[in-house]
Amino acid sequence: MSKSRLIKTGLVLAAFAVVPAVLVGFDKGYYYQIATLAAIFMLLAASLHLVTGVAGLLQLGHAAFYGVGAYVAAILGADHGVGFTVGLPLAGLSAAAIAFLVALPTMRLMSIYFAVATLAIGQMLYLVFLNWVDLTNGPNGVMLFSGINLFGIEIESDLGIYYVVAAVVAVSILVLNRLSHSYYGNALRSLREDDQCASAMGINVTVMKIQAFVISSFFAGIAGALWAYTTGYISPNDFHFSQSILILTMVVVGGLGSLPGVLIGALLLILLPEALRSVGDIRNIIVGLVMFGSILFLPKGLFGEVSALNFARRLLGANWSNDEGQKGIGWK
Amino acid sequence: MTAILELDGLTRAFGGLKAVDNVTTRVDHGELFGLIGPNGAGKTTLFNLISGFTPPSSGEVRFKGEKITGLSAHQIAHKGMSRTFQNLRVFPNMTVFDNISVGALGMLGVGPFSSLFGRSSHAKEISERSWEMLEKVGLADHADDLAANLSYGKRKYLEIARALAMKPDLLILDEPAAGMNDSETTELARFITGLNKEGLTIMLVEHDMGLVMGICERLVVLASGRKIADDVPAVVRQDPGVLAAYLGGDEE
Repeated sequence: MSKSRLIKTGLVLAAFAVVPAVLVGFDKGYYYQIATLAAIFMLLAASLHLVTGVAGLLQLGHAAFYGVGAYVAAILGADHGVGFTVGLPLAGLSAAAIAFLVALPTMRLMSIYFAVATLAIGQMLYLVFLNWVDLTNGPNGVMLFSGINLFGIEIESDLGIYYVVAAVVAVSILVLNRLSHSYYGNALRSLREDDQCASAMGINVTVMKIQAFVISSFFAGIAGALWAYTTGYISPNDFHFSQSILILTMVVVGGLGSLPGVLIGALLLILLPEALRSVGDIRNIIVGLVMFGSILFLPKGLFGEVSALNFARRLLGANWSNDEGQKGIGWK
Repeated sequence: MTAILELDGLTRAFGGLKAVDNVTTRVDHGELFGLIGPNGAGKTTLFNLISGFTPPSSGEVRFKGEKITGLSAHQIAHKGMSRTFQNLRVFPNMTVFDNISVGALGMLGVGPFSSLFGRSSHAKEISERSWEMLEKVGLADHADDLAANLSYGKRKYLEIARALAMKPDLLILDEPAAGMNDSETTELARFITGLNKEGLTIMLVEHDMGLVMGICERLVVLASGRKIADDVPAVVRQDPGVLAAYLGGDEE
């Protein structure tokens, strides 16, 4: 078996066999919640990675698109009886549609102005969740009792729910993996490096930025729907600005531009506070220090972009090789 | 000879200052054409007007007989015009190979959906073309290095390779010899002449007369935004107006 196949099989086994086995071993609802939460935040970090890490657009309102997905899934489920199989894609598409509308006027803004615009959009959507009581039930949030129904099969066990979440997250990350580790990813990286120069290469900079923003928001919406279906209750605070910053921190601590890095970053920032639960409130200070130290000593992230791209090319087999046997350059 | 590029009364004013003032000239197919002028003569502005980075105040640019004024930079690139930048703009945090691939993928096109279904995309063609250009400029051994870690001279060649990966009909080089020593400049002159011999039309923008005088077939000299000479190097070299502009003597 080739090395790349070995690693891929290992990752799939870890997500679909090792983690569930551990969960069954402990058999506590609490562990299932943590595992689900970690999976959802891995998807949030991976989707922000595409727009902020790869395309270099500082997006400060990611949690709002996560919220759009969650509210669409919850309201459709609670008020209109729309189930998981239809609600999940609709949640992603709604987040993508709103992202498209706000991207049109904002994409021409430069760096910091773009960041402030996304901050404003995030706040605006948050205030809609909070104040449009007729639609969102305001600060009281929305209850969703329907759970996950997969083509007529009711998924009720904690383990079953974990499998559904893990499968959706794995497929989504596979898509984001392909987008960042391909020539499409190279095109996005060129925008981050020098967008004027990219336009001289024939790249339509505005269109590419809008694509990255919309795709990223689509997957944030999917993550939101997963959150709504698994917790059964959502409220505006789940999608507050501080959540955007948490996701951004995962991306930066893991490594800007590095997909494996941001997944590690997400795991770390979800699991560490839980692992430290026994030490009391001082854990927040410890988590803060870990974040601070990682940026101070590893400014390129826990798993920097250069090593991440090498990892993808050489160990995941995403590379193109020429006839002369040059390995690990280009993309397949 | 048919013209590949025609400039017609091209003018760009910034406030009261006319950076480029009523410039009319043409570049023929297959020509190695030079645009020179002392610092501040408006060369880079003229260049930006041609490549769509700055809109002209008046006048027109025609490329392959088609009016391109008003088109954006990426549209002009797709018509077959490729440029490098005066202040060396490679993508620093990308590998040498990935840098060049951007030139190829910009022309061939990549989309999110075609990338997801790898086989149907242009990936193979982009890879092969990038590799070809990498070998052409002699950077194959550095394929995997970050562009930021290359020496200055190698980054210059990288920028040219990236522009060549676009397979352009007209290549415009903005001060390629800036910051190079004499032997590097000679090497570069040989490389540029070689590209031209292969049939590529090249426009060279320089402020250093040496390189341009040596290899160009025809020159336009700009001073204070105006065209003051348009001829073969031997004639331009003797032109009193050109000498005055370069040596700072009195005009007229």
